[in-house]
Amino acid sequence: MKAPALTEGLRQLPAGDKRLLKVCFGAALIALTLGVLFGAGTAGTRAGFVDSGPLYGYRMMTAHGVSIFFYWLYFAQAGLLLAFGAVFTVPGGHIAWRPLAWTGLATMIAGFVASGYAVIAGLPLLYDAPPELAGVPSPAVAAFYLGYLLLAAGLFCVAVSGVATVLKPRFDHRIASWPVVSFAAVGWAGLLIVSSIAALNAFLPAARWALGLSPMPSDYSVGWHVLFHNMHYLPLMATVIVWYVLVQAVAGVKSVFGAHLSKIAFAIYLIFVPPTSLYHMFLEPNLAEAVRVIGSLLSLFISVPTVTVFLVIVASLEVHARTHGAKGLFGWIGMLPWRNPAMAAMGMAVVNLAIGGAFSFVLIQEKIAPLLSDTFFVPGYFHFLTVGTVTLTFLAALCYVLPGVTGHALWKPGLLTALPYFITAGLLIFGASGVTAGYLGVPRRVLDVAYDGTAPALWGTLMAGIGIGGVIMAAGLLTYLYGLFRTLWPAPAEDVAGMTLPSVAWGDVTPAATRAWAGPLSVLLLVGAMAFFTALAFEMIQALPLQAAGAMGGH
Amino acid sequence: MTNESQVKPHFTTRRGFIAAAGFGVVGLYFLWAGYGAAPLNIFAGSGESQAPAGGGHGGGHGAAAGPSVEEFRSAAESFIESNKLPDGSVMPRRQAMAEATSMEQMDHAAMGHGPQAEAPAAADKAAKAQAPMDHGGTQGGHGETPPAAGATEAHAEAGPTDIYLMAYQWGYQPAVLRLQANVPYRFRMMALDMTHGASLQLGAGSRIIRLRPGALVEQSFTFTRPGEYLLYCTVYCGMGHDRMQGKIIVTANQPQESSHESASAH
Repeated sequence: MKAPALTEGLRQLPAGDKRLLKVCFGAALIALTLGVLFGAGTAGTRAGFVDSGPLYGYRMMTAHGVSIFFYWLYFAQAGLLLAFGAVFTVPGGHIAWRPLAWTGLATMIAGFVASGYAVIAGLPLLYDAPPELAGVPSPAVAAFYLGYLLLAAGLFCVAVSGVATVLKPRFDHRIASWPVVSFAAVGWAGLLIVSSIAALNAFLPAARWALGLSPMPSDYSVGWHVLFHNMHYLPLMATVIVWYVLVQAVAGVKSVFGAHLSKIAFAIYLIFVPPTSLYHMFLEPNLAEAVRVIGSLLSLFISVPTVTVFLVIVASLEVHARTHGAKGLFGWIGMLPWRNPAMAAMGMAVVNLAIGGAFSFVLIQEKIAPLLSDTFFVPGYFHFLTVGTVTLTFLAALCYVLPGVTGHALWKPGLLTALPYFITAGLLIFGASGVTAGYLGVPRRVLDVAYDGTAPALWGTLMAGIGIGGVIMAAGLLTYLYGLFRTLWPAPAEDVAGMTLPSVAWGDVTPAATRAWAGPLSVLLLVGAMAFFTALAFEMIQALPLQAAGAMGGH
Repeated sequence: MTNESQVKPHFTTRRGFIAAAGFGVVGLYFLWAGYGAAPLNIFAGSGESQAPAGGGHGGGHGAAAGPSVEEFRSAAESFIESNKLPDGSVMPRRQAMAEATSMEQMDHAAMGHGPQAEAPAAADKAAKAQAPMDHGGTQGGHGETPPAAGATEAHAEAGPTDIYLMAYQWGYQPAVLRLQANVPYRFRMMALDMTHGASLQLGAGSRIIRLRPGALVEQSFTFTRPGEYLLYCTVYCGMGHDRMQGKIIVTANQPQESSHESASAH
């Protein structure tokens, strides 16, 4: 079976491009490894399995968030953006303005080092690091913000290089129009650039304060919220782009709806994501009622781009599978190449997105915020997205990208195929415990929730679930990471033919005019789950032994 | 790209259907409307009246332009000093005045005076009682009769009793509050140094409250069941965050004096 276009395209990249990508993905894997280790330590501390004390416990929590949410997700996106831009825009393509990309990558790595120093040397500030928490300027605090600024500056350079990689072939008249992936990559890079500027806006005043150059910024939280929202959805946009690419790699399938609809679906991320940031701020005491109302309303639309791309992908797969003889409503799913590690990871990513999405939509209703915001409900659901969806998807992509840029066979594909199920099992324990804890009021970001024995006993039991689930997740992820490091490791080049992963080739024939119900039924199921968990929250609020009257401002 | 022009697609694979289904999640709006919580509610005349009991308009959550940190601290300390019990807990005395007022009203009504005629005076008395004063630890002499409906009416007329709550690294003042069930309170809260939470654990769920430094937050609450409720910080505020807690003890509605005696006996 021939290698997919992604692998072939990566093999044809210039050696300089491959070196750049190897360094980028190496940094990404190191960041994820550190983040997973500190995450396991944090979960173990919360569960009472280890006694880290507040200083080391909260340092671990800080290191976990910084390593994964900032560095893993953005090193990985930087590498994937450059790789996809170079491979899919034009045959025999390469990364444009490579020195700029190297400068960006080196700057991002410098940021990672600075952030690491800040976490080790300073007080634990958690990843959002509000200046008021730091209290007084210090070198460690300055390093915290400078690390983020370096990351943003580096990301800006890499994104510009990514845009140039896609634009140059068009301007050189080597292509008549952009392929869908290249078009999506431009939008993705655009949002990365916007996020870099948002990071500058959030962290530069804080860095100046930490260096003793200006007073403490009074509006840090607003800048943080704006940046944070973009940082949420960029990885999700990247995820669906990766799905689009991997579906071609594992099944040879492209959209049955044509390139135009796919381009529109990716483009609407730019329209739907930025205005929907308000729901993060529902608990802010000084937020106007009109803003809360508008925030809830706009947030309803945040799923539109992701659901649309999901429907395009699933319908395309189903139609092709039916053309190849799939029977029954869901029989086509069994025909997918589940022995391919990327397919297994992608499949679990879809399941986890549905679960995480169902819970996340409880939080967009402003009247539910006083029940769930700032509770463990938040990490309970978002790990389904950050770990279960985005991280598994990026790892799936690396199953193709790393062999492509190194020429090495993927390490133990059979084991890597099993790991996403194992990781998801841990995630289900973690998430079920966390979401339940959130409904019951367990606060997030608290290592010990006993409160001298005055908290409900169930809180402690649920934290044990967090610990068990966290350790299982970490074990699975670390094993996966070991496999990817082994694939990246310097070693004699192997025959690429030997590393071909199981796949199907459904795209070779014209699809029949057949039905595709799986996508719409999935959306129906998703909305039902969202409605159930939202109704549960409303019912719980009504059952609380507390009546809250209206806001009483205006003094 | 597959040559799609050669086949006539099933409606589930048409672009219009996919584009419409992409908006499927927006259907959640109808559930929100069912709970009276939909923004721009097109199914009810007033979102206010339809709001969930625990939510209220704006989630019952409001910041008011108000005093500076020092002014708030001074008012809160006066509140604590004038309502402190021997065990260090704080029991706002406003309800005692309201109970007395309700009894006066009942007495007047029995003598042929309508309660409405006395309402401004009752409110005035209650307001005077609310002002920070140093009356010592007890104030009573109201007998043993439960206030029942009369007290509720008096509270309604006089408005909720003010509670002052300061949050700081790493504690609350007052740390222990003694309140009564079914009595409305207006919590006036402020974080003095940095962002904190002042959340209430209420059994099978919590009421999460976030306080920004120097910003007065006011919320009106009525506890509907007696019990001991944990007051805890839900915003990370440093390494002592875990031990930042307080307690609200809600007792069944009963005469003020016996409550004070009961607290003193601890």
